[in-house]
Amino acid sequence: MMNGAEAMVKCLEAEGITQVFGYPGVAIAPFYEGLYHSGIQHILVRQEQNAGHAASGYARLSRKPAVCVVTSGPGATNLITALATAYADSIPIVAISGQVSSELLGRDVFQEADMRGATESFVKHSYLVKDPDDLPRVFKEAFYIASTGRKGPVLIDVPIDVQNRELTKPFAYPESVTMRGYKPEIRVNMGQIHKVVAALNQSRKPLICAGGGVILGDGEEMLRAFCEKFSIPLVHTMMGMGVLPKKHPLYFGMLGNNGKPYANKAVRRADLLLVVGARLADRAIPKPENLAQRVAVIHIDIDTAEIGKNMGPTIPLVGDVKDIFGALMAEPIEPAAQSWIDELEEVKRNTLDGRVFSDRFVNPNTLVQKLSEKMADDAVYVADVGQNQLWSADNYVMKSGRFLTTGGMGTMGYSIPAAMGAKLFAPERQTVAVCGDGSFQMSMNELATLRVNDIPVKILVVRNRYLGLVREYQYNTYDAHYEGVQLYDWPRYDKLAEAYDMPFFACAHTDELDATLDAFLACPDACLMVCEVDSEDRVK
Amino acid sequence: MKGIFSVLVENRDGVLSSIAGLFARRGYNIDSLAVGVTDNSEISSMTIVSSGDQRTIDQIEKQLNKKIDVIKVRRLTEAKCVTLEMMLIKVSCSATTRSSIIELCQITGAKIMKVAPKYLLLEYHADPEGIEDFIRLVKGYGILEIQRTGAIAMEKS
Repeated sequence: MMNGAEAMVKCLEAEGITQVFGYPGVAIAPFYEGLYHSGIQHILVRQEQNAGHAASGYARLSRKPAVCVVTSGPGATNLITALATAYADSIPIVAISGQVSSELLGRDVFQEADMRGATESFVKHSYLVKDPDDLPRVFKEAFYIASTGRKGPVLIDVPIDVQNRELTKPFAYPESVTMRGYKPEIRVNMGQIHKVVAALNQSRKPLICAGGGVILGDGEEMLRAFCEKFSIPLVHTMMGMGVLPKKHPLYFGMLGNNGKPYANKAVRRADLLLVVGARLADRAIPKPENLAQRVAVIHIDIDTAEIGKNMGPTIPLVGDVKDIFGALMAEPIEPAAQSWIDELEEVKRNTLDGRVFSDRFVNPNTLVQKLSEKMADDAVYVADVGQNQLWSADNYVMKSGRFLTTGGMGTMGYSIPAAMGAKLFAPERQTVAVCGDGSFQMSMNELATLRVNDIPVKILVVRNRYLGLVREYQYNTYDAHYEGVQLYDWPRYDKLAEAYDMPFFACAHTDELDATLDAFLACPDACLMVCEVDSEDRVK
Repeated sequence: MKGIFSVLVENRDGVLSSIAGLFARRGYNIDSLAVGVTDNSEISSMTIVSSGDQRTIDQIEKQLNKKIDVIKVRRLTEAKCVTLEMMLIKVSCSATTRSSIIELCQITGAKIMKVAPKYLLLEYHADPEGIEDFIRLVKGYGILEIQRTGAIAMEKS
């Protein structure tokens, strides 16, 4: 017979999990004893939140649920921000938390936190396991829920006595799940498909708006093929980066208030908008209602509840992105007119970027352009949050790599742990975390994790000694009353790199950029590069 | 507008709080909520009455459907279902007003559960509107306490 903790490890093995991120404590210690006797590699992070972000980066590359493990109480509450981040971005994570002994639940004993209650609105589903015999079913369901339909994090809270208690039945991992309340498979409604076809054939100016759901549904290739077959131009949200390479003739940039003005103009000129896997939140379309009154909108999403949440579409279409575009590919659709593409090209040519950037330091636009051009074709670029994120999204040169960021929650400190997770899953892919000096300091404790586990993530800090995006907001909104945004001159990054035995690269001017980036990208180890940018440089 | 939802859910701990939490988080109103187990002890039935514009009511249905522990959501329209609510109400009375309250009970079908020197404890059931009407009727005598169950509803077909 085996105890609950051993069963939990068996469940992970049955799911093919070989690596987990975590931080132990007493309430999860029996599970760690199980890990000790297993072949699963445990990566000890330096704070629980980063275990969640690392699992997020891992899952986004593996396209399967990744696992993070924490103890009860503060360990578990530290994880909540990462769960909320994964939930906002629909990333499949299975989070395991230790819990105080069942008979003590509700008594506010040492390190007790009601995790099911606390995470209610940040997870797709959660479990508090009270009987070790339930563990195989719960794990099977958790992985299934996390990875199907609209993906998302699932929490499994396991009291220590449940981990220690013997199962009364022989361990058997279920082959399938039976849940009355969860049926994620949606058959494509051909009636709706035909409406979409009719709308496309009527439209003279169709435009695709791709969101993160396209990538989560592994739909990049299918959507690319669809765009090309019917010559339909494409714009995307921040999370939808990666369907078309930047140089593609049908590519017209990122929309939204942080996107390309010509992408927004394209949205305004279109007569039919095909929104795919995007919730059209405020940052992408400021007033979705107005838009829906002006143009016909086809809204495609796996999550029925997204349809009509922010905007009433003309034609809703619920289902899996691959199924839907697979079905559409077989339909008789007239390709869009070349004159429409020409019109958008002209808009793009005539939209001038009036922003002026300082030449005292490194131009952040040039930095991101050069970096992403020099990076390997299939490299992983992880953008943090702040001005650095918007410069990244604005200038990133998409080839066949991945652009990861948290567009939904905008959690500072995401890039380093997420890059760590991505790199661990795909060691052959060059991985760069790009952050600001604010976001860097939110997860710089993970330099140790990179070092100890020899995970060669490259970290590039875009440094302006301020919380730049808030500073910019204060500039625009509060008459440049800068309050609580200055970071000053510390840490000394060279010494920090030295403290972690990491190669260090510094670049203070655009002239030095090529040489420094070349050396930084050629370095085989985890390494740190700092680029000085002018604090006066703004996103807008 | 009013939305009446008949929701079948897994009869497990945490489900009620998860449903209530959904309403709280997304700013939906709960006008009333009644929960009870069905003939299958693993399944509970909830009747949730909410109000809001068309989009809100549509969203409530979709968001309820997203919950893993929600088995089935049915949206009921008042015309096509029977709704019923029960109420216990203490109405203040004196020797002079008692007989007129008793007369009112006879007309409306309210049941007198307890007679006390200073009040009558009545049980009344009707659809939620009927309950409101009854409250208005006895208001003049002075209401000491009200307990309402919230509406339960069932489709006629």
